[in-house]
Amino acid sequence: MDNQGTQKNELLKFVPRPNRPPITITYGPVGWLKKNLFGNIWNTLLTIAVFFLLFLLLKPFLEWTVLKAVWSASTRRECLEISPDGACWAGIFPWVNNLLYGLYPDNLQWRVNLGFGIGLLWFLPLALKKVQQKMMIALMGVLLFPFLANYLFLGGDRSIFHYTIACSALAYLLILYVNIGLTYLRCKRIEQYLEPFMARFSPKNATLLGHLTIWLIVTVLLAYIFRNQALEHVSVDAWGGLFLTLIISGVSIVMALPIGIILALGRRSEMVIIKWFSICTIELVRSVPMITVLFMSVTMLPLFFPNTMELNKLAQVLVAVCLFAGAYMAETVRGGLQAISRGQYDAAKSMGLGYWPTMILIILPQALRAMIPNIVTSFISLFKDTTLVSIIGLFDIMLMARNIAIDKNWLGLHAEPLVAISILFFVFCYTMSQYSQRLEKKLDTSR
Amino acid sequence: MRMDSKRNDIPPGDDKSGRTAIKVNGLNKWYDEFHVLKDISLSVSEKEIIVICGPSGSGKSTFIRCINHLEPYQEGSISIFGEQLAKNKKSAALIRDTIGMLFQNFNLFPHLTILENCTLGPIWLRNIPEDQAIEQATALLDRVGIAKMAPKYPGQISGGQQQRVAIARSLAMEPKIMLFDEPTSALDPEMIKEVLDVMIDLAGSGMTMICVTHEMQFAHQVADRVVFMAEGEIVEIGPPDQVLKNPEWDRTSQFLEHVLSH
Repeated sequence: MDNQGTQKNELLKFVPRPNRPPITITYGPVGWLKKNLFGNIWNTLLTIAVFFLLFLLLKPFLEWTVLKAVWSASTRRECLEISPDGACWAGIFPWVNNLLYGLYPDNLQWRVNLGFGIGLLWFLPLALKKVQQKMMIALMGVLLFPFLANYLFLGGDRSIFHYTIACSALAYLLILYVNIGLTYLRCKRIEQYLEPFMARFSPKNATLLGHLTIWLIVTVLLAYIFRNQALEHVSVDAWGGLFLTLIISGVSIVMALPIGIILALGRRSEMVIIKWFSICTIELVRSVPMITVLFMSVTMLPLFFPNTMELNKLAQVLVAVCLFAGAYMAETVRGGLQAISRGQYDAAKSMGLGYWPTMILIILPQALRAMIPNIVTSFISLFKDTTLVSIIGLFDIMLMARNIAIDKNWLGLHAEPLVAISILFFVFCYTMSQYSQRLEKKLDTSR
Repeated sequence: MRMDSKRNDIPPGDDKSGRTAIKVNGLNKWYDEFHVLKDISLSVSEKEIIVICGPSGSGKSTFIRCINHLEPYQEGSISIFGEQLAKNKKSAALIRDTIGMLFQNFNLFPHLTILENCTLGPIWLRNIPEDQAIEQATALLDRVGIAKMAPKYPGQISGGQQQRVAIARSLAMEPKIMLFDEPTSALDPEMIKEVLDVMIDLAGSGMTMICVTHEMQFAHQVADRVVFMAEGEIVEIGPPDQVLKNPEWDRTSQFLEHVLSH
């Protein structure tokens, strides 16, 4: 050993060269154009030809949508008189309110706005860097927010239980924002101020106890403040437009994942009854068109409930859409589960993790990560598929858009509303897809 | 060769040296019609180091996976520190508390950081407070020489480093027995040594170890007994000098010729 050591010392010492930054080749936009579009005579000719074709294709569209479009008129006839072959956007504007809120009373629409505002506020902290326990916030949002939203949207006399949960949801959000504010001011969180006091009762869970106490106090306070604020009842039949579309797609997107995960795990389970139940559910629901599921939910579901129970159409539709989305999601999740190598199960098992901890801590996080593109694709198609509920008479944005064409002032105005809501749908779907790509990059741990 | 002198005077497999850590009795396993393990019996005393070698397909991995309950078996019994393993939650807890296992492909959890890989078990299974678990894991990572990799993800470090993290992850559960399933087979030659060094260090600390490996140098250096397996049977068992230098059976010497000629 010593011999080798001295021999090694006599050799030249290898020192790796410092890393150089990678070479970046930038020709600038002009250089790029030259290289890719006008590289040689053929390329130049092709480029010109393609641009000419594009121009021919886009010109009529551009003329229709912008150049010859009519932006203000009181009836379709007036529109046609001003410009016979341009779009009549004027017809959209009087209907904007209906497109967004359906038949929701004008003077109560603030409740819808408030509800969605609170929803946005709830999930906004998930994008902030310094916020801790994001999973908890999201979970609480999924569990509590629906009660608050339902309370706001529906109004009317609700049970004391419902009222309390709605208040506790609001209280949770308030405390969350106070804590976020304190974190950014580099102060302690509220419950940490209470910690010395709470430690007297339970030294181990002082922070948790502090949080719960504050939550309780604020809830009671809010419940007291709002005790006389009765909200006017707005029947579900009046809900509509983008508002309804967002509710249906929101609920089904949130529910699809847990239902899908449970069905997928069930399908891979070793317990025969659970396995066959999952397989039957998935295969039955998947092999039936969504419209059929929707019709069945409205016509057949009431048969399973006592006559005296009044079911609202929205709830029935929600059940159907969730089930449908869940069955599709189950197969996506199963794909992800199959991509996990057996070694991961071995490692978890030899560590002593049981079935549920293995799934929740090890397998599902990896499976869902691998499946983000597919999951988001399902979400996007789900969002678009909710327009089908217009067929069973819910006034979602699609039905509202088609109703413009039978308004006596705007009779026959078909194309413009469809183009308008297409743009709206594009904005929503593209946002989702962009978000999924960001999420993928963020969660990629291999680089 | 630091601990050889100590070890050689321990009669191998003899209960005099301490408690019996693992006792395998008449183990038989079939994959459908194929008889993978044929009447395997082996008794390992506490702090003993066993190296299992043999040609591929001889059932050595299957054997140690049976000890850890990763594979079901049809016949025979395995007991850990006198407690017989059964297929229920109680033996799952026994395995978790006593046995750690290392795999050929490391099997680190790729979505968790190195540190989280090592704290997951203690936090979720042994109810250790998070800060204490982090402290302990950092100490273990330091012991295997990769403390500064703690915030990285498994995909960002080399194979040898990953295997050392896997060792630290197992040690975090404070096992009394460690099973190694070809821990260096998937590694580049350069990295084999760093893993073997950690294993040698572990052997010196009094861990009971069963290693399936082709590293004959390692077997010579640390093993108390070498088990040679072929066709699902234990062909030969004894101190490394006996099995590796003067094998009784031609099957053993054939295999050794193959391995050592590399």
